Amino acid sequence: MTRKFVIIVLGAALAVFAGLDFYRSRHLREPVVAGPGVARVKTLGDYFSKVKGTVNDCNVYILEGAQPGGAVLVLGGTHPEEPATRLVSWILAENGILEQGRLFVVCSANRSASTVTRPSGAYPDSFSIPTTWGGQTFRMGDRWSNPLDQWPDPEVYIHYPTGQNLAYMDGRNLNRTWPGRPGGTLTEKTTHAFMELIRTEKIDFVIDLHEAELQYPVISTIVAHPKGQDLAAMASMVLSGEEFKIGVESSPEALRGLSHREIGDHSDAFTLLFEAPEPFLDATRGRTDAKLLLEGKDDFVVRAGKRGLLFETIDKNGWPIDVRVGRHTSTILTVLDLWTLDHPDRGVILKNVPRYAEVIEKGTGAFLKDPASAESKTIHYE
Amino acid sequence: MIVTILYYLLVAFVAFLVIRNLLKSREWQEEALYVVFLIPLLLRLLRLK
Amino acid sequence: MSMPETAALVLGAMVAAYILAKILKVSTELSMLAAALVGAAVGGAGFPVRHIVEGAFTYLDICLIFITATLFMNLLKESGGVAFVIRRVLTRFHRRKALLFVMLALLLLIPGALTGAGSVTVLITGSLVATVLGYMNIPRARAAAIIFIIAGLSAAAPPVSLWAMLTAAGVNMPYVGFFLPLLVPCVLLALATIFILSRGAKPADLEAALRELPEAPPKMNWLKVAAPFALFFALILAGRMFPFGFPILGLPLMFAAAAVVTMLLSPVKIPFLDVAGRTVHQLLPLVGTLTCVGILVQIMTLTGARGLIAITVVTLPVTVVILTLFLTLPISEAVLMWGAAPVLGVPLVLLFNTINLNPIVALAGMSVIWPLGDAIPPTAIIGRLTVDTIGMKEPYGKFLKACLVPALLIILAGTLMVFFSKQLAFLTVL
Ligand SMILES: [Zn+2]
Repeated sequence: MTRKFVIIVLGAALAVFAGLDFYRSRHLREPVVAGPGVARVKTLGDYFSKVKGTVNDCNVYILEGAQPGGAVLVLGGTHPEEPATRLVSWILAENGILEQGRLFVVCSANRSASTVTRPSGAYPDSFSIPTTWGGQTFRMGDRWSNPLDQWPDPEVYIHYPTGQNLAYMDGRNLNRTWPGRPGGTLTEKTTHAFMELIRTEKIDFVIDLHEAELQYPVISTIVAHPKGQDLAAMASMVLSGEEFKIGVESSPEALRGLSHREIGDHSDAFTLLFEAPEPFLDATRGRTDAKLLLEGKDDFVVRAGKRGLLFETIDKNGWPIDVRVGRHTSTILTVLDLWTLDHPDRGVILKNVPRYAEVIEKGTGAFLKDPASAESKTIHYE
Repeated sequence: MIVTILYYLLVAFVAFLVIRNLLKSREWQEEALYVVFLIPLLLRLLRLK
Repeated sequence: MSMPETAALVLGAMVAAYILAKILKVSTELSMLAAALVGAAVGGAGFPVRHIVEGAFTYLDICLIFITATLFMNLLKESGGVAFVIRRVLTRFHRRKALLFVMLALLLLIPGALTGAGSVTVLITGSLVATVLGYMNIPRARAAAIIFIIAGLSAAAPPVSLWAMLTAAGVNMPYVGFFLPLLVPCVLLALATIFILSRGAKPADLEAALRELPEAPPKMNWLKVAAPFALFFALILAGRMFPFGFPILGLPLMFAAAAVVTMLLSPVKIPFLDVAGRTVHQLLPLVGTLTCVGILVQIMTLTGARGLIAITVVTLPVTVVILTLFLTLPISEAVLMWGAAPVLGVPLVLLFNTINLNPIVALAGMSVIWPLGDAIPPTAIIGRLTVDTIGMKEPYGKFLKACLVPALLIILAGTLMVFFSKQLAFLTVL
């Protein structure tokens, strides 16, 4: 009897401590100090009422230039396990200044997925970016929406509207549920809300930020809908010549539910999806922790590379977070420049955002703002 | 929505069965295993994970 | 110490802890838990509460599938439905051996195919089929081998094939296209097994067999047996045909619905709470395994031990890897049970992907080999269960010997499926 009691107490202690830990990381508040360029902050629910008040009612930071022009939507945190994507959207919202057009910035496209980590993935529950004012901590997320927000999974996930069969858990993958469904699951409602935003705000194109494992063939590249193919090809040429190598790929017609396919097929806009390398996601990775997440150094992944199993090179210097963030900011700036050159009346001119070399030199943290010294009305929580 | 509630009820029912068996069990390895399996059930019921 | 050295040390400590626990007569499930805890401590993670509990969540949904499916099967047995079907099949086909064997093989395949667990086949139809085989003059050890081998194939058979599901999930591959690549080999090999092992069988002594088999309640009929299955398949079909009009139910709820219908149609009163409690007790080794494997995998990932295994596997010569599958898969199953899929299956599929094999067919081929490990110590979980359930008195080695020929056949078929996965890719249409 005492033995049973001891076992139960031990189990209860385990459950209580872990439960508190899960609760804390799920509710960790991440401040965004809206920069001088932010004219308004809306939420996703403003575009589709069924998302209002839900966990996925994320903030939409709207940067506006004095001169009218086009409109671009940048999605960070489609997959919150890809931290560079969220950091880039932070940099845009906190620093960006627009001279022409409008820029819509989202830091937590699938907010639900940013509140959970993957069972058996051994992810850290959070990670911190060093800054001069003491560092900022972010939630580590997953690829899929939190089961607490969407449960159960279907026996097989059937994509709307094509009817393509996909893996059951991809019903919670924001990049498999485009263009969404107003009466669908939370994840489908979220993509539908973004489609409504794209239509109402007359978005010209969407930039969907990602990171990928090096063993994934689609990496260090821009994946473009046919409508955006020329822009992507030009950007790839310019960037590969001036800053770093980046490829260009066209969105395959057979793969459904992806932003680069469905947004272009279901609206006047098109999507460019950027992939940066993240060794943390590789299946051959060694010790899994925040250090690997941010430094991107891993001996096992290097060995996989030597065996020719990877689609991107890696050496002992790894792929640090600043390099990954810098690749994304430079790609965004280049794409906007090229677009504006081609469409002066629909131009979007973005300033005060660091390029690749500057992010690497000063570090990502140099571009994060201290909420303690900011005016309270400029602080928003993700 | 209704389906989700049914799943919480299902988990509650399974948790109830596990606790019932746990209290009846006479073997420490079995008890330990019941407790280990019970933890995810309870944390899901409490919507902690 | 460098990261690869630490990972190797952790892996070594885990193996040592596992072996030590086994020596101390600790169950496989708790031995895996012990290995995980020791691995975390040696890897410098201390006692990582959050990781331990998060790992325990890995297979929660699959545990629910297990529990609801097995509850459904147990209720069907309690209602007399299973006895009814076996008696009817025996009466109808006892004169025609070949047809009877085909029917018995199917009866053995269904429970495991639906639940993903070979143990369910053994418990639900295994003992009854063994009775029939006994009256056909088939030695006990061979009857046990028939039940065990087909139970393993039933676990690999679609729609629920855990090894394929767990591995596919580990490489972000949809569990889609597996139906035929799993169904065809499982059915063919099940038939081959029963025909090979039942050579020399006499036509069943109908009277004697019927006397020993449990009675079916007089009011039981085909409609009552078929209705819950019909509902289950109707729900699956409805989800696929009207995906945007029909609510997402998920497999656990579908099995639960079938269980409720079985209860309602049962001609005898079923002590529901007792059956449900017994179901959970009966499944404890399985859900316990899944929970502990989840913890083990999480700790292996945390400490780099999983990466060490993965990088070692993917950098070995491919031919060697494929030609040794017949050893590595059953042994990994014997040690880790389903943990073999995320730990070993995932790097194997990654390797096959990089050399352009068809990952679906290759994984299906691996899935039919894996269950063979369930007869091998230290776990031998399904093997022991089979021998106990049908009451075999002969030594365990005799049972293993009887398994040998069909096991070799399965190994050959599975390995060929991996080798020729590209040529067999046409099977992945469903
Ligand atoms: Zn991504």
